[in-house]
Amino acid sequence: HIAEDSSELLQHVKFQSSNFENILTWESEPESIPGMVYSVEYKTYGETQWLAKAGCQQITRKSCNLTVETGNLTELYYARVTAVTPGGRSTTKRTERFNSRQHTTIRPPDVTCIPTVRSIRMTIHPTLTPVHSGDGHRLTLEEIFQDLFYHLELHVNGTYQMHLGGKQHEYEFSGLTPDTEFLGSIAILVPTWSKESAPYVCRVTTLPDRTWT
Amino acid sequence: DGVAALPAPQNLSVHSTNMKHLLMWSPVVLPEETVYYSVEYQGEYESLYTSDIWIPSKWCSRTEGPECDVTDDITATVPYSLRVRAILGSQTSAWSILEQPFNRNSTILTPPGMEISKDGFHLVIELEDLGPQFQFLVAYWRREPDTKEHAKVVRKGGIPVHLETMEPGAPYCVKAQALVKAIGRHSAFSQTKCVEVQGEALPL
Amino acid sequence: EFQFGPCQVEGVALPRLWEAFRTMKDTVQAQDNITSIRLLQREVLQNVSDAESCYLIHDLLKFYLNTVFKNYHRKIVELKMLPSFSTLANNFLFITSKLQPSKNETLSASDSAHRRFLLFKRAFKQLEIEVALTKAFGEVDILLTWMGKFYRL
Repeated sequence: HIAEDSSELLQHVKFQSSNFENILTWESEPESIPGMVYSVEYKTYGETQWLAKAGCQQITRKSCNLTVETGNLTELYYARVTAVTPGGRSTTKRTERFNSRQHTTIRPPDVTCIPTVRSIRMTIHPTLTPVHSGDGHRLTLEEIFQDLFYHLELHVNGTYQMHLGGKQHEYEFSGLTPDTEFLGSIAILVPTWSKESAPYVCRVTTLPDRTWT
Repeated sequence: DGVAALPAPQNLSVHSTNMKHLLMWSPVVLPEETVYYSVEYQGEYESLYTSDIWIPSKWCSRTEGPECDVTDDITATVPYSLRVRAILGSQTSAWSILEQPFNRNSTILTPPGMEISKDGFHLVIELEDLGPQFQFLVAYWRREPDTKEHAKVVRKGGIPVHLETMEPGAPYCVKAQALVKAIGRHSAFSQTKCVEVQGEALPL
Repeated sequence: EFQFGPCQVEGVALPRLWEAFRTMKDTVQAQDNITSIRLLQREVLQNVSDAESCYLIHDLLKFYLNTVFKNYHRKIVELKMLPSFSTLANNFLFITSKLQPSKNETLSASDSAHRRFLLFKRAFKQLEIEVALTKAFGEVDILLTWMGKFYRL
C-alpha cells in the first residue's frame, strides 16, 4: 500500500467482493481511537480524478459499500481511505488495483432438493448480481460468466458418487433406493477464471415405497 | 589448488509418463562422501531472449538422489533445456546439459487404471487418479445385438462414480481413455471390463 | 483452446496463465504509481471483431515478448518472480508460434487491428521506459481478460 503518511493508523485497505458485491474494508491500529473518522474516495484506473464516495465521508465504521461505483466489469478501480484523528493527524492508504470480475468470489448456489420414491430432483435458482446490463436489467452470474456451469454430486451410502452437471437448472438423480438418506452437493464453477463456489449441501431421504402395502 | 575437480553428472535423460517428468542422470560416486545435485531449467523463451539466465528447479535446488521431478517446472508446451551439477561441500562440478531439449507433448500416455463394480442396479466406475491435468472419456454399452455405445467424460480420477443404472438380462461393458488438454492428446483405451445384474428390472 | 477468429491455438490452459500472473500482480502493480494512465485502453480492446482478433493478439504478444518481457526481465529477477514469469513468457511464445494471421484476409481487418495496436504502442512510448515497462507488465491482467473471450474449455 502506498502510504502518504507513515503512521500505522490505517491498515489492510482492501476490497472484499463476493457475487459482485464490492465492499471496501480497512483496519486501524490500535483497534479504535475515539473520535477517529474516515473518508473514502475511489477512481477508475486510467482516469485522473479521485471521487468522494457519498455516504462514506467522516464515518466511524471501517467499511464502505462501493458496489455501484465499481460495477463496470471492464474497468479497473482504486479506492483510498483517509483517516483523521481528533488531534488532526491523518494518513491515507490506497487499495491494490481492483476489478470485480477478477476478484469476486462465488457464493454457493440457491437450490431446492425434492425427493420422490426412487429419485431426487434438484432445481437451481439463478443468482442475480448487483451488476446491471446496458438496458438496465440486473445480470445473473450466468450472463456474466459465459463458461459458468453447475456440478452436482449425490453421495450414495458413503461409497460412491453420482455426478450430473451442465448449464441447465433442472437435474434428476434416478434409480435410487426408496426410504434412504442421500447427501447432495451442488457447486458453481467458472473454469476460465478458476472460480469455484463452496457447495450448497442438502441431506435428503427418498420416500418409502408403498406400492405393495 | 590441487583439489581434484568434482566430476559432472553424466547420461542425463528425461523419463516422462502421464505428464510426470523425471530428469535422471548417472550418480557421481565418491567413497564415504554424500554428493548433492542442483538442477536448473530454461524454457524456449529464456534460451531465445535471456540465454544467460537459468531458473532453479522448484524441487531440486539441492537434492541427493540422481533424479529430479521437474513436472512443476515444465509449464508450457515448448522445448525446455535442463542442466545438473554435483555439489560436495563448497565444491561444485561443471554443469551437464540435457542433450535434446524436452517438450512435454512427448510424454507417454498409458491407458488409465479402471475398476468397475455394481451397487444394486448401479454401475460404478473408479478411474486411476492421474492428477489435475487429466480427464477421462468413458465408453460403455450393453452387450447385446445392435447395441449402442454411450460416452461420458469423467472429470476426476480417484473417486468411485455412478456411470449407469443397469437392467438385468445382458452384461454392461466399459472401457476408458485418458485425455490431456494441455497437450491436446489422449491415451489408448483401457481393456474392456463387463459386469451384469440379476433379478427384475427397477420399476420406473 | 483459443479461437482468435480463423486462428486456433490448442495446448494452453488460460487458468494456468492467470495463476502465474496472480503471484506477480500485486507486487508489480504496486510499483505503478501513475493511476491516471492506462495503456490497454478501451479503444484498443473493445468490440474487436473475430477477423481482427488474430492480427491484434499477434501484434500484442509479439510486443510483450520482444519489448516488455525482454526489458522487464532484470526487474523480474530482482523481485524473485522468475518461475511465474517463465510460465507466462513461454506460453505467450507458444501462442504466437501457433498464430498464422492469414495474408488474404480482408485488408481492413488487419488495418484496423494494427490501428488498435498502434494506440497501445503510442501510449507506451509516451512514458519513460521503466515506467512504461512496469505499467505494461502490470496490465497483463487486462490482456488475459480480453484473451478469455476467445477461450473455450
